[in-house]
Amino acid sequence: MEQDKMKEDSVIRVENLSYTYEGNDRKALDGISLEIGRGRKVAFMGGNGSGKSTFFLCLNGLLRPREGRILIDGQPIRYTRKGLLEVRKKVGIVFQEPDNQLFSASVYQEISFGILNLGADEQTARREVEHVIAELGIAPFQDRPAHALSGGQKKQVAIADILVMHPEIIILDEPAAALDPEHTEIVHRIVDDLTGQGITVLMSTHDIDYALGWADEIVLMHEGKVLRKDAALSVCMDREALETAHLREPSVLRLFRNLTEKKILKEGRKPPKTMGQLESYLSGE
Amino acid sequence: MIDSLCCRSRLRDKNAGVKSAFALITLVICIAARSFPVSAVVFVTNGVLTVWKGKIPASSYVRLLLVPAAFLLAGMAVIIVNISDVPMDAFAIPAGRWYLTGSRHAVLEALELGGAAMASVTCLYFLALNTSVTDILGVLRALHCPSLLTELMMLIYRFIFLLMETASALMTAQEARLGNRNLRTGLRSFGMMGTALFLRSLKRANALYDAMEARCYDGEIRVLARKQPAEAGDILLTVLFEAALTGVMIWSRIR
Repeated sequence: MEQDKMKEDSVIRVENLSYTYEGNDRKALDGISLEIGRGRKVAFMGGNGSGKSTFFLCLNGLLRPREGRILIDGQPIRYTRKGLLEVRKKVGIVFQEPDNQLFSASVYQEISFGILNLGADEQTARREVEHVIAELGIAPFQDRPAHALSGGQKKQVAIADILVMHPEIIILDEPAAALDPEHTEIVHRIVDDLTGQGITVLMSTHDIDYALGWADEIVLMHEGKVLRKDAALSVCMDREALETAHLREPSVLRLFRNLTEKKILKEGRKPPKTMGQLESYLSGE
Repeated sequence: MIDSLCCRSRLRDKNAGVKSAFALITLVICIAARSFPVSAVVFVTNGVLTVWKGKIPASSYVRLLLVPAAFLLAGMAVIIVNISDVPMDAFAIPAGRWYLTGSRHAVLEALELGGAAMASVTCLYFLALNTSVTDILGVLRALHCPSLLTELMMLIYRFIFLLMETASALMTAQEARLGNRNLRTGLRSFGMMGTALFLRSLKRANALYDAMEARCYDGEIRVLARKQPAEAGDILLTVLFEAALTGVMIWSRIR
């Protein structure tokens, strides 16, 4: 029943998508079909060159697939000026390298760019920019030029860039790459807030422990194909698929397995998604 | 260095238009007057504004002033010192049959010129040390400077730091592998760094374009600047100061 409802309300629907980069024989994306429900948290995992970034660029209309089609909100992407504008209004993408995304030395100007492109008047734009600056905790460094910001602060601005446009879907391409633990934590908190607001979040990450704890679903990609797409827990239990995608088993599941095998934990308990959950099993015993 | 000092300036949030108007009008009067009293007033005012009001460290300010001063001294020397067989009224140092000599008039003129030049430099430093590049671009935009120019300046200002960062990272990496062992390897390393830098810049430009497209970029960069309302008091002070300065100029002319 719930499955049916989700099908109806799939915010992204991809049918048989293929993409090949110019001057390259290998298909970067090879016949991808999947659906993503509204408000879901989906982690995309797979090695470098497995097609995650290419897939994201297609969703935003930056790359035009050779084959297949993409439906956003049930509407196929139209590759016209107006059509692309509509798609990009709905699908925001935060790029992996903030230095490739921030074009202005001023944080305020940078964030105002997207919302002005959507045709907002100055007053609305100012209100939105100031709101997102407060919301993401950018205020303490908003007056510094971009080159004087740390990597984590640039990342916060890069997310604000997109958030100010109020997209329905936010794509984060390895948001925690090259961040220190403190800023990783900040980014993760921002992501939690996003899903709290009902925004659909797609995120590529190499951190399987985090993906298991955070995501509703995990999409395993390998050589341009979808290897597995399922609930986070069942993907993470599929050790064979993980191995093909060159991923290791999440530490919490491995520990849980060992504890169960050694009869320290009773058999038949639901596998935990986080360390906290496992700890509560242990203290409850 | 100027850029990081500017971030700390207390006058940074003052209206950029007023600051620019102040700096430029003062500069014009200073050059037009070319008189000691005007130069002195301008020099002291800008010094007080930048160091005392703007809280730019005095040591950095002086160090910045020394840069043009060195050039100026050389220029003044050329005006003052003549080689002639007749000694002139200011000074004359005999050197064989000739004299290194100068006239009072030339000395006075050189000092006036030097003073005006230094005072003009303080006008520009006042602007540069207390106004961020972003704000200056905002003023240019308000003056209807072609958007092609202001957009280019904005992008250049953003990416020049990245370019330097990348270049220095590449150079460190080369240094670590003895890339500058002697002149030959040094030249080769420098060439390779240039190539790598160029390729990376191209890649970065493409990535940036994609990222802007993803945010509905349509060929025109529209951004909002933070509001810095012009305070009536500042405008009044600027007007009064410029009027007074003009007064000093006229007085020193008819004196």
